[in-house]
Amino acid sequence: MWRTVGADHRLFLEATLPHLDAVWRVARQAAGEGQDPEDLVQETYLRAYAGFGSYRGENTRAWLAAICLNAARSQARRRRRRPWEVPGAAPPDALPRSRAGGEQSTADVANVVIAGLDAEQVSRCLALLPEPQRVCIMLVDVAGYTAREAAEALGCPRGTVLARVHRGRRRLAQLLAEAGVSHGRP
Amino acid sequence: MDGHDRVLAAFLAGELGPAEARRWDEHLLVCEACWRAVREDRAGRQAAQLLRQPAPPGLADRVAFAVEMAAARTAALRQVQLGIGSRRRARHDRRLRWRLAGAGAIAVGLAVTLMVVLLPGGRQAGTLPAAVAAVARYAQAIPAPAGDQHPQPAAPVQVGQPVTVTTGGQQIVLRTWRIGGTEAVVAVSGRPFPMPPGARGVSGLGMAWSVRQGKLGLYCVNGRISELLAAPVPAAELAALAARLPPA
Repeated sequence: MWRTVGADHRLFLEATLPHLDAVWRVARQAAGEGQDPEDLVQETYLRAYAGFGSYRGENTRAWLAAICLNAARSQARRRRRRPWEVPGAAPPDALPRSRAGGEQSTADVANVVIAGLDAEQVSRCLALLPEPQRVCIMLVDVAGYTAREAAEALGCPRGTVLARVHRGRRRLAQLLAEAGVSHGRP
Repeated sequence: MDGHDRVLAAFLAGELGPAEARRWDEHLLVCEACWRAVREDRAGRQAAQLLRQPAPPGLADRVAFAVEMAAARTAALRQVQLGIGSRRRARHDRRLRWRLAGAGAIAVGLAVTLMVVLLPGGRQAGTLPAAVAAVARYAQAIPAPAGDQHPQPAAPVQVGQPVTVTTGGQQIVLRTWRIGGTEAVVAVSGRPFPMPPGARGVSGLGMAWSVRQGKLGLYCVNGRISELLAAPVPAAELAALAARLPPA
């Protein structure tokens, strides 16, 4: 009854569609300005399908993440933009790490961050992180990849992923605290 | 990042052995800098996890549909190459290459056209339900048969290969038939095709309906296996045409 044009695409979809949420989360963060994350997800799956016949890896989720990141870079290159360009005037390294006048206290940072967050604000601050930290946080904390999967997707040691995630989280918390202070939150 | 921070990152990831983890627990009680790092790490992680959102509804269908169309395009190209390649290969090598290139381009063009027409955002087919609209668009996208240089056989002849699409969560197999000079599309699904606004029920068949969509007539019989016929014929002829086609 259900004759199809080929069974391989069914196998492919069975293997890859369960990871759609993870790919979507990566795409949402990896898509540059003017890029539609849904287009990026579709492009990722079409690229993956084209390479599915020769794919011999064990971790499909990590493989999809790597394809998604490469697709985002390719699209950004086509647009002659950097894929994870930092918006705003201040480069990440020049951002203040604490409130003027000295170190912000532990309680301040954590409380401000936890107190009044919204996803849009987090997304804006995440965009301010240096690319390596941002990508690692995107994979591990946002998309739910393990450090090993993220390392496989990025082609770097697992310890490097852990270190980048740690530094990125701290920077993110500090940036959010800054944003909270500047918006008059306690 | 120094070695101290790397060990702290491993500690936070739960990767230290029990003895070393205990030492870090004790260290955190007395080291303000490390304690701050731990709290910032946790706060940053909680914040980032706010961005965990499921894929929007419909994205899975869109992706599956795009992959199915890519598969259909690949299969069409393969078939064209095989079919043409078996003819007079030795005598017409040069002409054959041109034919392959031309046929391949047509197949790719057709597949791309179908994607453009069928994907969300393509040409809309009024207010039809998504599954019915996809079938209508598919039927409208099929080029009209060439002029009648040869008598058309009365028996239906299947044109091309079946195409499987998924739209609105409904999986549909589309087959194209040529019957007496008319191109008809038969869509088969395990789920019923919703009755569009303005459609009328077909007397004698409890779950059957028909509707006119521009030049296209749509005729549907819903059941355990549902079939939807789309053909550019008058509404009165749809049932007769459906009866001449092979059962699903």
